[in-house]
Amino acid sequence: MMDLGRRKSYWNRPTLGLWERSYLPEVLRGLAVTGGVIARNLARWLTFRKGALTARYPEERRADYAAGNRGKHVLTTRPDGRPQCIACMLCATACPARVIEIEAAFDPADAAHPKHPARFEIDYSRCVFCGLCVEACPEDAIRMPQDVPDLPSHDRGEMWLSRDHLLGWCPRSDAAKPYPPGPAGGGEGGSL
Amino acid sequence: MTRIFLNGREIEVAADTTVLRAALDNGVYVPYFCWHPRLSVAGNCRICMVEVEGKGLDIACNMPVSEGMKVLTDSDEVRAARKAMMQFLTLNHPVDCGICDKAGECTLQDYHFAYNGAPSISAEPKVRATKFHDLGDRILIDNERCIVCSRCVRFTHEVSRSKALGIQGRGDTSLVRCEEGRRFDDPYSDNVIDLCPVGALLSRSFLYKARVWFLEATPSVCPGCARGCAIRIWHLRADRRLQRLDPRRNLEIARVTPLDDPAVNGPWICNKGRDLAAIFERPRADQAMLRGRPVPLAEAISEARRLVDGAKRRTALVSSWGSDGELAAFRDHLAARFDVRVKPDHVPQPGEIVEDDILIRADKNPNTRGARALFGERPVAFEPGTDLVLVWGEGFDYSRVPAGAKVVLLGSYLAPENGAADVFLPISVQTERDGSYTNSDGIARRFEACFPPGETIAHAADLFAAIGGRP
Ligand code: SF4
Ligand code: SF4
Ligand code: SF4
Ligand code: SF4
Ligand code: FES
Repeated sequence: MMDLGRRKSYWNRPTLGLWERSYLPEVLRGLAVTGGVIARNLARWLTFRKGALTARYPEERRADYAAGNRGKHVLTTRPDGRPQCIACMLCATACPARVIEIEAAFDPADAAHPKHPARFEIDYSRCVFCGLCVEACPEDAIRMPQDVPDLPSHDRGEMWLSRDHLLGWCPRSDAAKPYPPGPAGGGEGGSL
Repeated sequence: MTRIFLNGREIEVAADTTVLRAALDNGVYVPYFCWHPRLSVAGNCRICMVEVEGKGLDIACNMPVSEGMKVLTDSDEVRAARKAMMQFLTLNHPVDCGICDKAGECTLQDYHFAYNGAPSISAEPKVRATKFHDLGDRILIDNERCIVCSRCVRFTHEVSRSKALGIQGRGDTSLVRCEEGRRFDDPYSDNVIDLCPVGALLSRSFLYKARVWFLEATPSVCPGCARGCAIRIWHLRADRRLQRLDPRRNLEIARVTPLDDPAVNGPWICNKGRDLAAIFERPRADQAMLRGRPVPLAEAISEARRLVDGAKRRTALVSSWGSDGELAAFRDHLAARFDVRVKPDHVPQPGEIVEDDILIRADKNPNTRGARALFGERPVAFEPGTDLVLVWGEGFDYSRVPAGAKVVLLGSYLAPENGAADVFLPISVQTERDGSYTNSDGIARRFEACFPPGETIAHAADLFAAIGGRP
């Protein structure tokens, strides 16, 4: 039974010390941080260097995505080039945005992998890039490499990417699996 | 009555029952694989072990109750024995859950989480067996998944009595197989798929079609014959509708399973009931027509109304696939002005089993009894001078229409006679509406809508009100 008489104790008790609670010094410290960034960017801009200017995506890409960035999915392949995916649909089950649609097919000829995805579609207009699909996958068949997704489009319908596209694109950041070699060779191809 | 102590609680149970039944009836769950309430006791899976104080462990499914016995279903010994039994049952199990159609409703999977949870302690390689062995036109068996509980074998010996299945070999090389030289051609064969506690028996028509947790089941009544078995129609859950893949799958029957109704069918149905998709998913008629000319539904209704009002001698052939509610709507709005005959919509097809002593009935219509209760038993015939025939449903030979009579036809499927009728009105099918059927024993059972009807399709009950109601 829950003890209704006592107040719940929360993990985030107020932890501010006297210095923080005296308010003004902390406000000034915050202003100094933002002011410093403005000053630095302004100085770079005045000397014709690139400051914190927004990258003009998609024509322009940043080279320095955070190590944990989750980009457009990759479907990994087995050595024979067929998808690693067994169409178990756990990714589709885990996906909170419900954007993965898989059609399974039966292949009696492949004894070790009788079930495979005939179609595998992800709707990037609704994907929230949470990575739960990657965590759910028991086969390491789907990954989200660090690279930026190459996704902009004027049409929602075009933002569904299908099995062959996700199998075929070669991210720079993920060379752990032998992906089909990209146009430049050696798995080091462009992002599409 | 016999008095026993179940986990220290004193209960009164019937003298001829078993400890397993007594426990289940009294709200104490004891796990079981091979036991089934409608099959004989085999006692081979040993998961139902309980402890009798002073006597030690034994299986509950084959243990008669005796006066004053003290049963423990959850003692340390019982838990350890169950865990050991689960280790043993999964010793050679492939743990294919990711690609197993049973996953999500698999007893082995559920019990593993409930009673074992530990990885295998065996270091031996697993014994391999045949996968996707062809048992018949409808069923494959994956022998690696089979736990040799013999439920399927007992079903074919005790319920369907085809004696088609047996077990060959022994120990870890046991294989469930068809009798030599025979295919699994039992008309009730698909029940073993539900009966199998694991995913060993696989339906060809459902193989890899969907994960079961993407589906929902709508309670319904099988219209395949006058038995009217209680069924579940499984289709994609509303929150799992497909947007990119074929959207027709959103309105498809994924599979049909029995719904246990002791008064009608028990936990079984015949294979025709499994194939309702073949009946309901024929090409649908969704366009109202006047002599083959497409018109809006409202125009077709007013034309039907004009023809009915203008005719002198009218005959109606009502559908034995109409629900009780639709038949009542016909009686309320139109029957008084018609000579009403009940028409059999479906007759036995070549090769179909006409009748047996298990479930299948000769009348291949679900609601003949309900229709006859309202409109009598006279066969289809026309009084001289008939100048309007209203046909509701299928199964009528249009060459019998009296010369010069107008035809108003209410149908659901594409057929050549739709275009020949003076008025054709498209109506919904069973999976698109709620209702009830009265089976041949007079038992009425409800069915519920699985899918919304198309926009140009009307419910027959609404059409009767529109054609016959006061203007
Ligand atoms: S990243 Fe998240 S939202 Fe996107 S497909 Fe995976 S699970 Fe769904
Ligand atoms: S990507 Fe992984 S989780 Fe998704 S269906 Fe394929 S194997 Fe299953
Ligand atoms: S039978 Fe059950 S435990 Fe075995 S693979 Fe299928 S779902 Fe998993
Ligand atoms: S196929 Fe299924 S029902 Fe038949 S013996 Fe094996 S586990 Fe039991
Ligand atoms: S259920 Fe009792 S031994 Fe199988």
